[in-house]
Amino acid sequence: MAPPTPSSHRPRKKHKLPGSVPGSNNSLILSSGNEKSFPAFPLVSFLWAGRAGVSQWLILPLILMAVGLFRWAVSLWGYSGFQVPPMHGDFEAQRHWMELTIHLPISKWYIYDLQYWGLDYPPLTAYHSWLLGKVGSLFDPAWFALDSSRGIEHPDLKVYMRATVFVSEYFIYIPAIVTFLRRYTRAQGVHAWSSSIALVAILMQPATILVDHGHFQYNTVMLGLVVASLDAILAGRMLWACIFFVGALGFKQMALYYAPIMFSFLLGVCFFPHIRILRLICISVVTLAAFAVLFAPLLLGAIGEEAHAAQASMPLPPLLEALPLAANQKSWVYGPVFQMAQVIHRVFPFARGLFEDKVANAWCAIHTFYKLNRFPAALLQRVSLGATLASIFIPSVVIFRHPRPSLLLLALSCAAWGFFLFSFQVHEKSVLLPLLPMTLLLASDGGLSKETRAWVGWANLLGVWTLYPLLKRDELRIPYFVITLLWAYLMALPPTSLETYRSRPSSEQSTVALEPHLLTKLVHMAFYAAMIGWHLVEAFVPPPASKPDLWVVLNVLIGAAGFGLAYLWCLWKLITQSRRIDEEIEAEASRKKKE
Amino acid sequence: MAEIYPSLAQCAILAAAFKVLLFPAYKSTDFEVHRNWLAITHSLPVKEWYYEKTSEWTLDYPPFFAAFEWFLSQAAKLADPAMLVVNNLNHDSWQTVYFQRTTVIVTELVLVFALSRFIKSAPQQHKTLAHVASLSVLLSPGLLIIDHIHFQYNGFMYGVLILSLVLARKQSTLLYSGITFAILLCFKHIYLYLSLAYFVFLLRSYCLDPKSILKPRFGNIFKLGISVLGIFGLAFGPFAHWNQLFQLKDRLFPFSRGLCHAYWAPNIWAMYSFADRVLIPLAPRLGLTVNHDAINSVTRGLVGDTSFAVLPEITKEQTFALTFLFQLLPLIKLWLNPDSWETFIGAVTLCGYASFLFGWHVHEKAVLLIIIPFSLIALKDRRYFGAFRPLVVAGHVSLFPLLFTAAEFPIKTTYTVFWLILFLFAFDRVAPVPEQPRVFLFDRFSLIYITVAIPLIIYCSIGHQLIFGLGRYEFLPLMFMSSYAALGVVGSWVGFMVVYFTA
Repeated sequence: MAPPTPSSHRPRKKHKLPGSVPGSNNSLILSSGNEKSFPAFPLVSFLWAGRAGVSQWLILPLILMAVGLFRWAVSLWGYSGFQVPPMHGDFEAQRHWMELTIHLPISKWYIYDLQYWGLDYPPLTAYHSWLLGKVGSLFDPAWFALDSSRGIEHPDLKVYMRATVFVSEYFIYIPAIVTFLRRYTRAQGVHAWSSSIALVAILMQPATILVDHGHFQYNTVMLGLVVASLDAILAGRMLWACIFFVGALGFKQMALYYAPIMFSFLLGVCFFPHIRILRLICISVVTLAAFAVLFAPLLLGAIGEEAHAAQASMPLPPLLEALPLAANQKSWVYGPVFQMAQVIHRVFPFARGLFEDKVANAWCAIHTFYKLNRFPAALLQRVSLGATLASIFIPSVVIFRHPRPSLLLLALSCAAWGFFLFSFQVHEKSVLLPLLPMTLLLASDGGLSKETRAWVGWANLLGVWTLYPLLKRDELRIPYFVITLLWAYLMALPPTSLETYRSRPSSEQSTVALEPHLLTKLVHMAFYAAMIGWHLVEAFVPPPASKPDLWVVLNVLIGAAGFGLAYLWCLWKLITQSRRIDEEIEAEASRKKKE
Repeated sequence: MAEIYPSLAQCAILAAAFKVLLFPAYKSTDFEVHRNWLAITHSLPVKEWYYEKTSEWTLDYPPFFAAFEWFLSQAAKLADPAMLVVNNLNHDSWQTVYFQRTTVIVTELVLVFALSRFIKSAPQQHKTLAHVASLSVLLSPGLLIIDHIHFQYNGFMYGVLILSLVLARKQSTLLYSGITFAILLCFKHIYLYLSLAYFVFLLRSYCLDPKSILKPRFGNIFKLGISVLGIFGLAFGPFAHWNQLFQLKDRLFPFSRGLCHAYWAPNIWAMYSFADRVLIPLAPRLGLTVNHDAINSVTRGLVGDTSFAVLPEITKEQTFALTFLFQLLPLIKLWLNPDSWETFIGAVTLCGYASFLFGWHVHEKAVLLIIIPFSLIALKDRRYFGAFRPLVVAGHVSLFPLLFTAAEFPIKTTYTVFWLILFLFAFDRVAPVPEQPRVFLFDRFSLIYITVAIPLIIYCSIGHQLIFGLGRYEFLPLMFMSSYAALGVVGSWVGFMVVYFTA
């Protein structure tokens, strides 16, 4: 007898949709009093049907396809440096690295024609470029022909390059975010449905899409490795966390923004609640081993006659020059040492200024009113180092004292804001680093409540707004407005809606505390008004002839003020949460005493 | 009853955002066609509209569409006056692209409006079904591919069609339904394919007494007749006055084309061609004669004469006879049972099927003529949905060859797969149980059919090139795809005929 077919006329069970979702105080479902419930913001509407009874196996692929479509659609637009000879932009830089890594011996990677986009990212980027260059050459070797391919602009090459960003993201960033959210929301007691909503909100983050798929970079690879490292921490696999984080550092030195917190956390778990020496040893050994593996191909490639000859033609890297004893050029060790010094010299360009372009951090803001170039570079470097250390001191100490995963995101955002505001040689695109952990907060308990949504949304919109001058240069104005406004719309944020800042009765009772404070509302409204006003002025009023950069400077000043505020909010949140943990510990202790 | 989310407006906003991002995507010659029409209608007197032939893309839509282009051209002046010059062939400045793409998005609001009327017109207990069906039409990958990438104004046109279909739901608005359809015909004459269903339906339920066909309602006949004649008079009257009707006829119905279109729409003739190809090597053994002149032309499949090597040639008259015959069958039922709106929509759908499957020089884009009316009743019960399923898979997959550039490949495939997964699951969840039990093994057929799609798409998009290299046997994947898709469309047609006649 044939088994009954599932889709014939068998009566089907009615799925009962619960009015409110258990285990979440995200207040996603509002009620208007007369038994009618409605979604709190548009993004909730789009996932409304997934409230109950729909498998994650269906929701997740659909989400990933939808966000993928938006990414690919953005990538149809312009990229950095299109038709801007002779240097072009980031697109050409990345393509050039593919070209040079597949054609040159490994010993020449960091010394070949440094004037034309010399490789200045850590080794993992170089290996990644090598792989992509090899694969791309299968399609058309002309795209990556040594020297002759410089500045090449073929539509098929663009498709290939865009696809590499896309594939890299879907192999690293997206799985990392998905698994991290699954673990994190479970730990926070957040329902799978609101986790899916947070996932969409995080993956539609405008700044990340626009920089990676519009402007052209591979930030999501580094960010994805960081998230993978956080995921490993949540899973209790500290050694994997080290490996992933070394990977992130090895891909892009910018991951250093997170390093103090990761370091303090991993140190903290070895000391609290009790000292675990073995764990400390394991963590240090694995970290060192990961670095060794990362650099091994580079260093091994620097041994030998050919490498020696190549190095001889180069000036000594400053690091090697600073060495107290003159290196023996005949020794076989010399090659690797030179290579190492050269990589560090390339990756950390201390010779450059305090800040390069207009960037919304403290130095650029101060410089507007009080010219900083009157001071010697060495002093500025020291001041910048001091300020950065001061800004990351509190989060580092808190996370060291309370190495709890629940505090990690706040501590990471705090430290990354500190770095962004005060450190040396910051690029405007680095704003993605503080935005990532801050946006991940949406997945935490109460993360989709109005208060967190207001702050996270505001920081994201401000962040992408400070990128506008850059995106405008890349002819990405329309994608900027579409992607940014779409995200604001989905999250019910200004300028599309004032819903987040309005008080409404909720179907869940305990959410009064999660409404934004009156002061928050005022400050945010002021910033939104400033951003809208700035766009109008920038579009319709030409800047005065004597100050052609006036609008950009204004953007930077507003941005820096807002980012400072975002830093303070993260810091305040971190401190209140750690205080709560302290109190819990005390209460626990006193209860034990009584017993 | 609770509201249903996401609402039509929310989806329209989301979709519009995506469509704006597609501005720089590939655009076909239809973009230039419409730009040329903007230029013609803007810079020439009406008398010369249908005679102008500077560009090879002459005006070949009925007068209302030309007037619509003239209306758009008033705004186009502000965007880029250069696009309105007849001699500026292939002009595509970014202003032109942004302007024309924007008009497609904006005119699609007609579709949104029509769909909201459709939801409103649905009885209370079927609101959810109507809502889900509307979202599926609004987000249709067919419209996305054809309108927002390839470039046409189908969203607008189908919006008018749906509006007319919705107006047919109530006896009191039947007249307006007829008027709207007449207007639609004066916009785009492809809808003539559906006109027989309208004719029969309006004749039976508006012009004749519902109780007895022998009692004509003269008041209604008069109203409808005057309105329809008035509309056609408005559209064609001026041209009749200038004695240009024959010129219009030649422009609107260019019968010099071949049986099959360039990419082979998935219809009976695609299967016929496929069978012909298969028979070529077998012919000597079967004792059939092979027409050697035809062998090369079939493989190329270009516009023009498609001739067959083994099977007999098909004439225009034969295709008309077949189309008419298969339109007639559902109309008999409609004549006998005109009270049910679903029967009318079913008849419209089946007219679409007949003309798509048997028509002369059918374009693959015409598959929307079936899918969109069908969407309105696909959720009537699970039997309807069963017939709908292979149609949407086949119909949308057969649109893939319209876009052949690498950058659009991920969009067309991902979007279509996304839509198919989302709506096949959503439909499956909400479709009610039928009153009659299942009559034949349609479910299993459609399941196998859908499963085969995946390897086939992979083969045709990537596998073929890997095996044979670029540019060799290029017709093979096209032929596979169109035969596969034809099988799906024919299968769903047979299935729906059974459902329609047993309902």
